[in-house]
Parts: sequence; C-alpha cells; structure tokens
Amino acid sequence: MFEGVRSPLIYTPRSLSEFATVIGRHPQAILWAGGTYLMSRSDYYPTEARDGIIDLSYMEELKRITRTDRYVEIGAMVTARQLLSAGRLLLPPILQQTLSSIGTQIVRRQVTVGGSLCISDARFSLSTTLAILAATAEVKRYDNGKVTTHWIPIAKLYEKDGKLNLGAKNALLTRIRIGLEFGDFQRFVVFGDPIRRSDECGIVALQAKREQNGLSKVQFCVTFPGKAFHISKDIESKLSGSALPIHPEKVNILSHELVAELTKMHSTISELQLERARRIFESFLHDLNSQSLL
Amino acid sequence: MKIDCTIDGKALSLSVNSNKPLSLILMEDLENQSLTSYCRGSACGNCLVLVNDEAVLSCLVPAFRIRGAKIRTFESYQRSRQYRDIERAYKATGIRPCPACYNARTIIIESILQDLTDGKQQDGTPIARDVKLDNEKIIRELSLNTCQCMDMAELIQIVEIALGYRNRRRRVRRS
Repeated sequence: MFEGVRSPLIYTPRSLSEFATVIGRHPQAILWAGGTYLMSRSDYYPTEARDGIIDLSYMEELKRITRTDRYVEIGAMVTARQLLSAGRLLLPPILQQTLSSIGTQIVRRQVTVGGSLCISDARFSLSTTLAILAATAEVKRYDNGKVTTHWIPIAKLYEKDGKLNLGAKNALLTRIRIGLEFGDFQRFVVFGDPIRRSDECGIVALQAKREQNGLSKVQFCVTFPGKAFHISKDIESKLSGSALPIHPEKVNILSHELVAELTKMHSTISELQLERARRIFESFLHDLNSQSLL
Repeated sequence: MKIDCTIDGKALSLSVNSNKPLSLILMEDLENQSLTSYCRGSACGNCLVLVNDEAVLSCLVPAFRIRGAKIRTFESYQRSRQYRDIERAYKATGIRPCPACYNARTIIIESILQDLTDGKQQDGTPIARDVKLDNEKIIRELSLNTCQCMDMAELIQIVEIALGYRNRRRRVRRS
C-alpha cells in the first residue's frame, strides 16, 4: 500500500549547534519530539514530508531536569513518565496530577513535554497547568543563521483559540522553567476524553494563595482542545484580594461572567462544554470556601 | 529507507518508508496476524507490541524510531514464560477477553505486571516499584483498550492472580 509515496529524509542532530545547521538547510522540515499527536492525526500517513523530519530524540541537552532553590528546569524531550517518576519531590502537586491524567503509562512513555506544548493547533492539559503555574519556556529562534534565545511565559505562547505562536517560523522550544513558589490551593479537572472525543472535552485549572482570610495570586485557565485557550485576567483580578469565604452569590456571578466571556470570545464552544466548565469553576470556589472554614 | 531491527527474534533489514507506522509495517510488510486494526492513532489500543520489552502502541511509532530495536508482537510473546502467568490467570478465573482484544489486553496486563514487579526502562534505570495494587491505576491502564467485552472488576481479578503467579515464579527462580 502507498508504494509511490516518497520516504522523507530523517535528520538526527545530536546537539543544539547541529540542530541549527540542519534547520538552516531544511527550514520546512517537521520537528519530531514524541510524535504521539502527529501520528494520531488521520492524515498522518501517507504524506509527503518534502523537506524531511528532524528527530529530536538524540539531543541529550533536551533531556535534562535540573533544580535550583528557586526553580526547576525541564528539557523539552523529557517524557511525561520520566517527569512523573523523577519529579515526585520537586514538582507542584497540580503538575503531577496533570501528568497522571495524560493517557496511560504506555502513552506517557512517548509523550514529551516539548511536544505536548508545541502541538500547533490544539491545547491540552500540560499547557493549561503550566500557564497557571506561570512557567516560562526557552524558545530559540533561527533566522538566516542567527540564533536568538527568548524566555516566554507559557500563557503567551498561544493565541486565544489555542494555536501555537513561537514568534518565528523556525523556532525550537528547548526547556521550561517552573518557579518553586506556588499557591497552596491548586485544582485541576479534565472532563471528557481529550484524544478520543476532543469536541466534548475541557480542561480547567486554578491556583491561588490563601493569606489570612483572603486570596492572592489567583491564576485560572480553561482550555477546550482545538477551540479555546482562555485565561481570564478579569476573573483573576476579581478573585485576588477577595475575602474568604466568598459569598455564594459572588461565586454565582463570577461563574456566569466566565460563561459570558467564553461565549463572547470563542463561538465554537458547545453549551455542554460551557456548562461543565462553569460548574467545575464553581466547585473550585466552593472548595476554597469549605477549606477556609476548617 | 533501510531499517535494521529484530522482530519476533528475527534480525531483519526492512526497506520501508521512514515515517510509516510500525503497525502498518507489521500488518502489511510482514503480514503479522496478531495485529488486526489500524485506527490511525485514535488509541483503540489494539495494536500493542513490545519494543525493547516495553509495551507501546505501534500505530504511534514511526519506522525511523525502531532502528536497532527489539520488537516482540503477540506471536512471539505467547511463547514466553511471562505469557504463561497471564494465561494461567485466565484459566483460574474462567474469564478471558474476546478474540478481538485478547492480544492487546494481554500485553497491557503484561505491562502492568512489569510495573508492579521490578521492570527496567530502556536506559537501564529501574522503574519505581509500586508496593501495592492500585485499582484506579490499573483500571486506567486497562482502559487503553476500548473493547467492551469484559468488566473492569474481572480484569482486576485477572491482574491480581497473574501477579501472584509472576511473583511465585520469580521467588522460585531466585531460590
């Protein structure tokens, strides 16, 4: 079957400098991390990758996990499983929960951090969680033999519909950095199956710091794969500084404001998705309230 | 592209498209009968094989990633001792998966057993050993295959019994 399809050339750079040479010569080549998303697309094979494929799995620089007093740095080619087993002591609980929610162990062996963040057209759980953790990504941009390095917050890597925007045609996400100061209230919920039924799926994550009787540093993100990647600065600022417990009426108002915002900015989200996201958001706030009364 | 690898104990030099999924290589080029479907990566969970002794969905592995790899399909796996542990568990419970998902389910159970005992990763680093059976985790793993022929409680029972056989066999071998 498909005998006439030309076999794409595979390039296997072993370092970032080799990668720079390869990407300079083959700017249209496909970057291959874990390949789980690329291969799960219905049009994956047979296709002609005319300018070849750059296999990143030989680049040891992208497989490191380092920790300092203030942050953890994770290479783009670290797999979800490696991170989950290596990072039990150094990762925030919400990130562990997120990694555990990605498929099964068998799939997690293949899913890489960089690959998951650099899916071109849909956002999944890892992007959502890293956005609320205020993680940053190191992006190397390659332009006419010149390499520039930028640290970009994960939340700014994506358009409002979830499409990836690395700021240049030829760019490589090499590592991410997560600060070790995070809020003491973290919640993450995925509803629906992101792979098998992404149309009905949604991912909601919230992080906040409880100080005395009030909330601070609230970060909230809701994602609908292929439809929306939504960070509501308005709701975040309304929640930050709120006294605990939050009045049930305010919870209700905020959740309906969220729905209004989502409806206004993203027309493709279904009513069921909106309602589920709204209720999960409400449950997070009720949970915050119940914990504040303990 | 020429790819050298070992499939079911045979050293092969395959001439295939470099990005062709392993599941298609096995089904089309090698006419392996143990794989039955090509879901194009939508995770039906029927194309599981062991690559370097780790279970993978072969529809998510391109040809260029199997260079030098040791691949075992269900055809050769069913001749191994590990398989006998699971086969005995099927017999002991009197329950077995339907023919459509039998091969894939068995490999998923093998993967769970490897994790619960002291499996090793490709680079030789040991995988964290789970002290006790976590039913929630097991259900999650087993749900990789979408066939509805069995109840999860039955599958957990099979895993528990197979784990018992596996541990007993390992203890005998050590002593």
